[in-house]
Amino acid sequence: MAQTNTGLKHLSNALATPDQLSNSSSSIDGVPTDLETSIRCAGAQLTQAAGVLLHLSQDIIAQAIVIFTRFWLGVDGGSLRIYSAKDVSAASLYLTAKLSFQPTSPRSILNVYNLLLSQDVSPLSFVNPRGAPKQPPAADTYVLSEGGYQAGRLVLLRVESVILRTLGFDTHVALPHTIALTYLQTLGVSRPAVSRRVLEHLNAALLSPQLLYVTHQPNALAVAAIYLATREEGVKLVDGEWWEVFDVDREELGFLVVGMRSTEGFMRKETELWKNKAIPMVIDEVDAEVERRRMMDEGE
Amino acid sequence: MSAAKSRWADNDPETEAIIAQRKREKEEKRRTKAEKQRQLEEASKAPAPIEPADADQGVNGEQGPPKKRRRLSNDPDASSAAGEVSTSAELKKQSSLLRFPVGEWGPCRHVDNFERLNHIEEGSYGWVSRARDITTGEIVALKKLKIENSPDGFPVTGLREIQTLLEARHQNVVYLREVVMGNKMDDVFLVMDFLEHDLKTLLDDMREPFLPSEIKTLLLQVVGGLEFLHSQWIMHRDLKTSNLLMNNRGEIKIADFGMARYYGDPPPKLTQLVVTLWYRAPELLLGADKYGTEIDMWSIGCIFGELLTKEPLLQGKNEVDQVSKIFALTGPPNQQIWPGFRSLPNAKSLRLPQTSASPAGNPPLLPRSRFPYLTNAGLNLLSTLLALNPASRPTAQQCLAHPYFREDPRPKPKEMFPTFPSKAGMEKRRRHHTPEAPKRGQDAPELDFAGVFGGAAGGDTGEAGAGFSLRLG
Repeated sequence: MAQTNTGLKHLSNALATPDQLSNSSSSIDGVPTDLETSIRCAGAQLTQAAGVLLHLSQDIIAQAIVIFTRFWLGVDGGSLRIYSAKDVSAASLYLTAKLSFQPTSPRSILNVYNLLLSQDVSPLSFVNPRGAPKQPPAADTYVLSEGGYQAGRLVLLRVESVILRTLGFDTHVALPHTIALTYLQTLGVSRPAVSRRVLEHLNAALLSPQLLYVTHQPNALAVAAIYLATREEGVKLVDGEWWEVFDVDREELGFLVVGMRSTEGFMRKETELWKNKAIPMVIDEVDAEVERRRMMDEGE
Repeated sequence: MSAAKSRWADNDPETEAIIAQRKREKEEKRRTKAEKQRQLEEASKAPAPIEPADADQGVNGEQGPPKKRRRLSNDPDASSAAGEVSTSAELKKQSSLLRFPVGEWGPCRHVDNFERLNHIEEGSYGWVSRARDITTGEIVALKKLKIENSPDGFPVTGLREIQTLLEARHQNVVYLREVVMGNKMDDVFLVMDFLEHDLKTLLDDMREPFLPSEIKTLLLQVVGGLEFLHSQWIMHRDLKTSNLLMNNRGEIKIADFGMARYYGDPPPKLTQLVVTLWYRAPELLLGADKYGTEIDMWSIGCIFGELLTKEPLLQGKNEVDQVSKIFALTGPPNQQIWPGFRSLPNAKSLRLPQTSASPAGNPPLLPRSRFPYLTNAGLNLLSTLLALNPASRPTAQQCLAHPYFREDPRPKPKEMFPTFPSKAGMEKRRRHHTPEAPKRGQDAPELDFAGVFGGAAGGDTGEAGAGFSLRLG
């Protein structure tokens, strides 16, 4: 039995336990759940943006986001009041790239994060609510000083160790993207628009507040994305319960379809909620936000 | 039927029905609870509103974002809406779906959970000791990773070792149980199954080499493990007898993944500073930066030869000497048997003797005199494994299917293997005389192979290749 399972390791993932999903280190430290969700989602977006700027391929970025997501779960996970989301994002990306065919240097990582976290020039709305400047910004607004680099490098490498310890050195992340393309071929769907839409759904699901990537196996994510994409593009698939061929039952598919579809609404709500404010990405800002909310509650 | 019943059982059919009914209700209740419908627990018949009974409904109906949860039971709607037929059909279908092995993750334990017993050896990437798990009493091997203020954070070799070992679950690959931490940030230990022997120490202590039937059993296991690794896109890159562990039940396991890594198609650029010198393939020695699983097959050939003669096959003193030892055994390369070898970086300085009569066959058979007791099939296998041209070497899969393993004497059953006193279990192992795997981060040496066939440039060349006409320039 164990023998038949061994070959499946690279198609499957470790999943979060119910305990890890219902408790988190941050909530024990007094971070409200909705704030934690906002920060986690912003951290995932930050990782994605940094990966794009570093010219890393999407599979490395997606794996980094999954590692980032896993890190915060459970009482043994990291707390937002002990570790800055931006540091964990950077270290996840650095670690994942190191193990891939496209390693990147601490300096490149720190340069990119310095730009993305600059409140004057960052293109990310949750860092810089005014949006990216129209004119190319002056270099001194985002260039990292040598001292800043040395300090940042120490933090990056320390947080990398912390992530490894927290995850028990299990850095394996299987992704649904290639699986989905194989399934599409199996189903005889060759329209590029469908494939593109499938990948869009899978990448959007990385930001899902339901943490789909740490609660479902990649084959199920792939099937749900195909289900949605073919419907949206009006492509007819075979009759019958084709998802069972890919070992997904209807209930799981239904849940994932709803989850993936709700991601867009969630993101809109988040944008609205943090319209003129920055989402706290470092410990001090989280502390201040928690304190601010406590004062508001007491004031009422 | 009634005789089989316990006499305490209530025979009244009505009571039975009630009991069954209660049971069903209880079951239903438990399920609903699991569905996180705590507030609806009393009204146990109510359907769960969040979960769409039909996937179509989920797409078209506007649903609020569902709460995260794991699937714990069947959809309660199914039984009430579609009746019992669909439920039973669903159950039948469900059993046919593949369920992936679900792993979990958790933080590392502390090394204090283990009591260190004795030191075993120092490899190129860490110190290994025998230890006892304090809670379970099991004997394990504890390997400390070397992390010396690496400038790039946690060393990638250590990460790869852990990653590949965690993925390579096979009966012929050493089992990594967990990773534990010490007090300092960079104290990292791998906890692995303990095996009594390594093949190198065993061979050193044996008076006679293994029997042919035993060699086949050993080789089949090693190549079987390697075939699995290659099928998982893992290259070992440091196969040698001291990295093959053996227990007293005749089982052999591949260990020390300090050099292992994933490869891809197309292959990524790789360092040629891999594999301990004596087991290093000629394309690596000639500086190829594109190589593949064939380098592991070369090492298998070296191990095969070592099992036959009890001595390492190609004991070069340095890279240049290694190349000359290889060519002395296999004959020098030429364009027929290894097209394109000239374009390898270090082949430029290589001066080859002009041989008119090259040995027949492609790849040519190794000299029979070196392996007097080997059958023809065995010599054929060894010659292909030690083919200079990587493309001529068999894959692990092809190797397993070789006639050598099917001819008499057949592989000896593992259970029939002799047992040996364990050095690792009792006392400190003596240091091997095998050179170590190359250190990572060194620059690949620019090698001058002008002296391979006896020229002065290569320095200490040891014994010169026999029987070649030298062309000194």
